[in-house]
Amino acid sequence: MTAETERGDATREPANRGAEPTTERTPLRRSETGRWDGIAGVALALVGVGVVARQPGLVLTGAVGVGYVVYARVGEAREATVELERTVSDDAPEPGDEVVVAVRARNVGDAPLPDLRLVDGVPPGLEVVDGPARIATALRPGATAAFEYTVRATRGEHEWGPARAITRDPAGSRERTTGLATPTRIACTPELSAGGDLPLRGLTTVYHGRVPTDVGGAGVEFHATREYRRGDPIKRIDWNRRARTGELATLDLREERAATVVLLIDARESAYAATEPDADTAVEASVEAAGQAFTALLDGGDRVGIAALGPRDCWLRPGAGTAHAARGRETLATDPALAPTPSEGRFYGSLWLRRFRRRLPADAQVLFFTPLLDDFAASLARRIDARGHLVTVLSPDVTAGDDRDDPAGDTPGTRLVAFERRERLRDLRGAGIRAVEWGDRSFPVAVARATGRWSR
Amino acid sequence: MVAVSRREATAGDGDEADPIDADSLDASDRERDARPPTLAVVGSLVAGAVAALAALLAAPIGGALVGLAALGLLAGSLRRSHRLLSWAAGIGAVGIAVAGYRGGAVEPLLAAGVALALAWDLADHGVSLGEQVGREARTRRNVAVHAGTNLLAGGLSIAVVYGAYLAAAGSQPVAALALLLFGAVALASAVR
Repeated sequence: MTAETERGDATREPANRGAEPTTERTPLRRSETGRWDGIAGVALALVGVGVVARQPGLVLTGAVGVGYVVYARVGEAREATVELERTVSDDAPEPGDEVVVAVRARNVGDAPLPDLRLVDGVPPGLEVVDGPARIATALRPGATAAFEYTVRATRGEHEWGPARAITRDPAGSRERTTGLATPTRIACTPELSAGGDLPLRGLTTVYHGRVPTDVGGAGVEFHATREYRRGDPIKRIDWNRRARTGELATLDLREERAATVVLLIDARESAYAATEPDADTAVEASVEAAGQAFTALLDGGDRVGIAALGPRDCWLRPGAGTAHAARGRETLATDPALAPTPSEGRFYGSLWLRRFRRRLPADAQVLFFTPLLDDFAASLARRIDARGHLVTVLSPDVTAGDDRDDPAGDTPGTRLVAFERRERLRDLRGAGIRAVEWGDRSFPVAVARATGRWSR
Repeated sequence: MVAVSRREATAGDGDEADPIDADSLDASDRERDARPPTLAVVGSLVAGAVAALAALLAAPIGGALVGLAALGLLAGSLRRSHRLLSWAAGIGAVGIAVAGYRGGAVEPLLAAGVALALAWDLADHGVSLGEQVGREARTRRNVAVHAGTNLLAGGLSIAVVYGAYLAAAGSQPVAALALLLFGAVALASAVR
């Protein structure tokens, strides 16, 4: 909402206020608007008709028209000599918080700006939810115009771009655009919530943890019995059998070990897809789920790393501990590779895969978060899996509209994409790769449902 | 519906050297209401009505044409079309010419001309404001200042022209008026 305080010229301030962030001005464009084109012709035509018809009224009206010709020609669109001051109500908001941005524009030049339009450079990842980030006003020298708008914070670091100031001369026949850069930045780092128990596959490290393995040893769950060897702990001797047969046997229990997990998030441009133009993208859903998995796995004693599949490099080595948890939270929240809008640059799949393989620890398994909207994601999962890094595909479903009865959301294209995605999921499952998908349901619920189906 | 989120349209695929792309003015946020501000539309409508009334006083047919022009200006505002506005203004000019040709008095013609210019200017200004900042933004001061300078320009023109007419050329033939005007145009070009 724009502030209703029509402060405008009413508050005249001293021209210099000392220590104040200076606005960097970049002249961008100047042009003729051509809106008064043809006025001279009309005026002279009126005069002509007046002369022919011997009507002084027409000649005089034409003469007034000539006055407008002069009006359109004098005057110059001045550079927007404006000092911008931008304050945000909260520079470290939680995701979904509404942040009020107040902008004050002061004319620091010595000439009035009769026609000034300001368009603030709202970061592309933020959505303006209240009031346009724009104003049109007129500023005398030293006068200030203020306006406010509200943005909804999303995960990531957001920096305001230069505001665009468009000035026109009084008649509006010339126009000049100026960029006004005032650095403002907010960082929105979500808390990571633990996402329940996440089942991992049986590729583990030698460290103790919580993933049950097929290795016999110390543990809680029965695995096998074997004949007694000297040095076996007395606790694990099968005394029932000893009583029955007189032989000594040792119980082997399943060893529970820790796993090394790399959370791989698909952040290619194709993954920035959503059910609706305004809805959260699949990347957003993936990052949220990855955050839950990250916390849950770390709590379970596993070593967790983060990687992004995209044009920008993002790699957090698997690790454990409080410092690592903080680093992981930071990476998921603000890494430019996982930004709420697609990264620039081209993505080279084979180069990326080579680098990823080099970095991936040999005993790491991969949780691959991808919307599975193209074949590359599916084939990548199989290629990583084939290398011995067990892969679990976790796929946010962006092909199902929220409401099925909405006819606009059920186009043949949508159905085709949904069908292709289902086929990919089926192929992956057929190839022995675990896959979970979740749409409207929350990620932990989907995982819990899927866990019931999986064997170890 | 699968749609790649296009929130980056403002800066995402812009030129590195020129972060602000002129074309992104329209695409920057889709929820913005790009209709012209109410004040501009209403002001244009009022000025158009005044123009039609003045032209009606001069000659009924001219008044009808100028009234048509005022409606055209309204339609142009609502449809956000500069071209429609230009056509409407052209019709208004023809209306004034007809009114003058049929022997309308000097004063109503002058008033009709200035009011028509104001009506068109406000409508066109409103449409450009709608394109660039939208209807919901605060624009009152801008529109008021624009209307004021336009009226000032029109008023000054009338003062000069009508004053000269009364003082010097009151009894002169029309040709003398035209010659006087020619001198004024030459002067204006020299200034430019």
